[in-house]
Amino acid sequence: MRRVYLDHNASTPVHPEVLQAMLPYFGELYGNPSSIHGFGREARDAVELAREEIAGFLGVAKEEFVFTSGGTESDNLAIKGVAYARGAGHVISSPVEHHAVLRTCQTLERQGYAVTYVPVDGQGRVDPDDVRRAVRPDTVLITIMYANSEVGTIMPIAEIGRIAAEHGIPFHVDGVQAFGKIPFSVRDCGISLLSCSSHKIYGPKGLGGLYIRKGTKMVSIQHGGDHERRRRAGTENVPAIVGFARAVALRARDMQEEALRVRRLRDRLWEGVEAKAPDVRLNGHPVHRLPGTVNMSFRGIEAESLILALDLKGIGASAGSACTSGSLEPSYVLTAMGVPPEWALGALRCSLGRSTSEEDIDYVLEVLPAAADRLRALSPATVA
Amino acid sequence: MRYSDALIDHFRAPRNVGMMRSPDGVGESQDPTCGDLARFYLRVTDGRVVEARFQTYGCGPSIAASSLVTELVRDRPVEDLGELTPGAVERALGGLPADRRHAATLVIEALRAAAAHYRQTYTPEVSRV
Repeated sequence: MRRVYLDHNASTPVHPEVLQAMLPYFGELYGNPSSIHGFGREARDAVELAREEIAGFLGVAKEEFVFTSGGTESDNLAIKGVAYARGAGHVISSPVEHHAVLRTCQTLERQGYAVTYVPVDGQGRVDPDDVRRAVRPDTVLITIMYANSEVGTIMPIAEIGRIAAEHGIPFHVDGVQAFGKIPFSVRDCGISLLSCSSHKIYGPKGLGGLYIRKGTKMVSIQHGGDHERRRRAGTENVPAIVGFARAVALRARDMQEEALRVRRLRDRLWEGVEAKAPDVRLNGHPVHRLPGTVNMSFRGIEAESLILALDLKGIGASAGSACTSGSLEPSYVLTAMGVPPEWALGALRCSLGRSTSEEDIDYVLEVLPAAADRLRALSPATVA
Repeated sequence: MRYSDALIDHFRAPRNVGMMRSPDGVGESQDPTCGDLARFYLRVTDGRVVEARFQTYGCGPSIAASSLVTELVRDRPVEDLGELTPGAVERALGGLPADRRHAATLVIEALRAAAAHYRQTYTPEVSRV
């Protein structure tokens, strides 16, 4: 049976060149970068070379980039790190953030901080004017994602960055889904902190990073040794860091071309589904959207059964973010966008990537509309 | 795969799908949390189920459980349908993950509603004609 992976927003396969780059650091180059002997120096050199590579890609100084265990830790470090440095205050975020941001904000609320969640429109975008209106004298942080993992909508980050800069408020951006997929400049966007992740861009899992603009006042949230200029304690994951840097180098080379190719396949997928399946709608922004992401709702079908039907045909798609696909609630992202429950419960996310081919899309277009028809035929008329 | 072969088989090729014209009993149940909706139709002769059909909106397990139940109830006296429990459905499906147990409850409630509807509308005089 043909296997088609359409869940690149959840995770991606490690690029063969990334794997090759990592291998020596599991074997002969096993030193601890904090050790001062030759074994340690080899590891340290690898870590610093990787840091340079990624900082170069972002156009920032290498001292401004901290390695973490992944996007979730980066979000926690950024938000708690900035908030705790002030001790109290107000944070601005949005209701469609990843759980790593939302639940960190909720934790701050329980600790006495105030959080304003500015709404999103029907396409999942925050209105920068709402952000401006939400600013208070005690606002200590604005945290808004670059692109949404479920629907792919890209936020007006540069506009929000200008507002943050006008008020002198640190601006954190969860860039996990955008980093390495679409070009942007952290400096031009006025970003003070940017979270990114390795396994969304063909690097290994268990590694991410946080760009911290020089001068951003923050405290560390994980205590221990003096690693990462005392901003993140813990022995560096050297093989994964090397792999992450190689993945970034490959994205720097391939990103633009890849984005065009993937966008074309994505649009062909959506246009094919729209032409073949009745009662289907596109969720997310028609233009300001990640090139590989298409989220579509089938009314009268529950996404879980559609995902199962696709899985039985070798196709891996998801119902939203992987963290929520086990729950039975409609997606909080779609709910915040005002998508009615009967549509939100039938939302299918397909996220394309490097490996996605024309033939894959042909196959999905053979299977998906037929599966939707079959499931709809099972459904009682009152909901169909 | 987190689902059993039996469940996948019923999901892949559901039995007795679709509405029934002039059923002897019809009933439905909706899960208030997830919105899953199951509807059962019963054809009854001499107090026994001779045919059951279903329509279900829901997750894979809800669809599979519906299909399974239409087979489990065949040839059973309507009066005994109350003995069929969600646990029995779950066992027949080879178990359900904790977050999918609602499927077994949903179909049993819909089946009981259909049986109750049959009992309410059943008139021996008419049915003997």
